[in-house]
Formats: sequence, structure tokens, C-alpha cells
Amino acid sequence: MEARRRRILCLLFFLAILAASEAMALDVPKLTGRVNDYAAMLSPATRQQLETVLADFEGQESTQLAVLTIPSLEGAVLEEFSLQVAESWRLGQKGRDNGALLLIVKNDRKLRIEVGYGLEGKLTDLTSGRIIRDTIKTHFRKGDFDQGVSEGVSAMIAALRGEFQAEQAAAPSTSSSSGGDSGGLIGFVVIAFFFLARLVGRHPWIGGTIGAIFAPIIGLFLLNLGNMTNFMLIPAGFIAGFLASLLFGNMRFSSGWSIGSSGGFSSGGSASDFSGGGGDFGGGGSSGDW
Amino acid sequence: MRYLKRVVLIFLTASLLGGCGYNSLQMQEEAVFKAWADIEATLQRRGDLIPNLVETVKGYAKHEAQTLEAVINARAKASSVKLTPGDLSNGAAMEQFQAAQGGLSSALGKLMVVVERYPDLKANQNFLDLQTQLEGTENRINVARQRYNKAVEEFNGAIRKFPASLTNSILLHLERKEYFKADEAAKVTPQVKF
Repeated sequence: MEARRRRILCLLFFLAILAASEAMALDVPKLTGRVNDYAAMLSPATRQQLETVLADFEGQESTQLAVLTIPSLEGAVLEEFSLQVAESWRLGQKGRDNGALLLIVKNDRKLRIEVGYGLEGKLTDLTSGRIIRDTIKTHFRKGDFDQGVSEGVSAMIAALRGEFQAEQAAAPSTSSSSGGDSGGLIGFVVIAFFFLARLVGRHPWIGGTIGAIFAPIIGLFLLNLGNMTNFMLIPAGFIAGFLASLLFGNMRFSSGWSIGSSGGFSSGGSASDFSGGGGDFGGGGSSGDW
Repeated sequence: MRYLKRVVLIFLTASLLGGCGYNSLQMQEEAVFKAWADIEATLQRRGDLIPNLVETVKGYAKHEAQTLEAVINARAKASSVKLTPGDLSNGAAMEQFQAAQGGLSSALGKLMVVVERYPDLKANQNFLDLQTQLEGTENRINVARQRYNKAVEEFNGAIRKFPASLTNSILLHLERKEYFKADEAAKVTPQVKF
């Protein structure tokens, strides 16, 4: 009874989380370049100039900066949305996490600098806060978005210059992701499986016995079946194991079984030549309004 | 024949252990511990900002001794409650920790509202810097908390799913972890009468 109540509470908690995430259903805009001016705040000349400056900076130091303007947050929380964008664009190089995002929300009159892990030492919360307060805001208040964004980006670059060298970016971090680990495991299981099939294949009675043992265990723990049903699983498991070992024994190594490995990493490449390098973010940066 | 059976048994055990979450469960528990360490680091960061903040406010808002006192006390209380990784499965200890940190959040919230009454202070560069840092830290705490809760959700789910649940109940005996809930008291903006 107690366990059941706990389970229900747990479920309610998850539902609350789900509802909360549903509330901010504002989609992450597509990454179209270094400057993504969805709110049409910048002149074409400024946009072009920013693209060049940011591309040069990435060429020199591998640090990826991007600008995003949107018309409205539609009720979403600025910090949560900003992190969502940063996490989905994955600015910065993998392992160095040297990406940063300047997000401007036109109608809400809010802005934020989101800073990747690797840049937090130079572009601290404090530094980003000062850039917003002293540089960007003064121009935005006068309605001069071009100047505000240009100077803001320059200030960010000035703060970051020298933190990284482009050449180092070539050295890829040894990825010990769980994907490789599980791949190895799957391989091991597959090999063990075929080895077993070969051995057991000549002795279908062993296969049957294994089936007879494991079927009720699975029934007991996975399906919470009663004693009677479990008892009936013993002959069922025996037959299944018997048949399976016979089949696999004959199939040998040319089995048509495929075991799908999950967790494949797919990088959604955008149409433009610019895409995030796989940097991580942890909520560093600063917010402001004008 | 006997040799054959032994080989079969060894392979069966090894593949079952690998396939039944013996490794992945421990990796996931480690992920929970790491996420918790991140929360503690951000909370520590917030605690470190407070003495400076209190000093700065004191210079301008002499009449707010009570509010400042509350912040100092809440900070002392928050830093006195410590959790070990083992306590993450302990609901009562976790609640105590959250209550202490929540107390500090709401004391800080009150201070930030009171401060609105002092235009001189609000124009002070030092205070603005501290405010920026405090906001940044609060945001990091939020992010760290969400990531911790996600790690806990995955871990708690994993130890209940078959066949990992079997591995856990027989071999590992890992306990489910508690969530770090958002502090309700800190969310409500305190009202100040003028």
C-alpha cells in the first residue's frame, strides 16, 4: 500500500514536471548562421559585418559566438529558453565548450548572454552583466540595435581573446561516451550468444532446461504473475528454449538476427556552413532588460 | 561434457551481468553523484557571495539590520547542513538540506526587495556587480537542480526496470535517490509595505 502511494506521488511529480515543460513550448529556432535575426532588428550591413567578425574570431581561436533575435518569448522564461537554444545548437567545440550566445527578445525587451563552460573563466557572469549593462543597454535604450549588438559582440570578443588557439581545436577529446561502452557490451553479448547457440545447438535439451529456468524468473520479476501462471511458464519456457537452441544450432553464424544498437549520435547538420561543434552549457552568463 | 557445461555457465553469467545493467546502474548512480556535486558547488558559490553583499548593503541601508541579520543567520544555517552522497537516498536528510537552502533563498529574496527602497545603493557599481553575480548563481543553481533531478529520474527508473531491477536486488542493492525540489517559499515574491 505504502509502495503504491509512493508510486502515485512519483507519477504526480513527473506529471508536474511534464506540465511545466509543456508550458514553455516555444520552439528552438533553426540555426541559420552566426547571426540569426528572426526579429528583424539588424540592418543587412550590420548582419554581414557581424558574420564576418564572428567567422574570423572562430577561425583564429575556434570559439563559436552566435547572435539570436526573436520577437517574443511567448511566456517562456528567458533563462530556460536561452539554455534550451544553447543546448540544441551546441555552440563551441566538443570538449572545450567554448561557445556563447547573445539572445535578444525584441518585444519583451529582454536579453541574455549565455556562456559555455569553457568560457566561464573569461566571460564571467559579472563580465557579461557589465557588457549588457554598460554597452548594449545604452544603445538599445536609444533604439540603436545595430550599434548595441555590434559593440556588445566586440566586447564579448575582447573579453575572450586569447583564451583559446585555433590549432588546439584539431585535437579531439577521447570520447568515452556510454555509446561506445554499450556497443562493446552488445558485441560481447552477441558473441556469447552465438557461442552458446553453437554449443547448445547440439544439445537442445540444455536449451530447453535454460528456457524452463528463466521463463518463470522473468514471469516473477517482470510480470508479477501468480504462482500458478508461473508454474505453467516452466513447460512453455522449456519448449521455447528447446526450439530456439535447435534453430540457432542449425543457423550457426549466418543468423538473420539483428540487434539494434541504441543511442546513435546523429548531428542534425543545418543547411548553412555554420553549425555548433558540440559545446556544453551550464547556465553561465547574465540577463538584462532595457 | 562437464567442461562444456562450465563454459556455458560462465558465458551465461557474464552476458547476463553485462546485459542486466550491472555496469550501467553504477554509471548512472555515479552520474547522480556528479550532478549533486554540481549543485553543491553552485550553492557554495552563492554562500561565498553573501558576506560581500551584506557589507555593501550595510553601508547604504542602515535601517535594514533585521533583514541583513536574517540573511547572515540563514547562510550560517545553510552551510551547517551537509549531505554525504549516501544521504541522497535519505528523505529526511534531504528535506532538511532543502529547507536550509530554501531559507537562505527566501532571506535573500527579501533583502533584494528591501533594497529597492535605496536608490543610492541601486546605483552603486559594486552593488550592481554583486547583484549580477547573485542572479547568475541563482540561475546556475536552477540548471544544476534540473540536471540533478533528471539524473535521479533516470537512475530511479533504471533500478526499477527489468532486468536491471533483478541485478540490483540481488547484487548491487542501490537505493533510489531523492529529488531536489524547487523551493516553493523562495518562488513567491515577498511583499514589502512602504
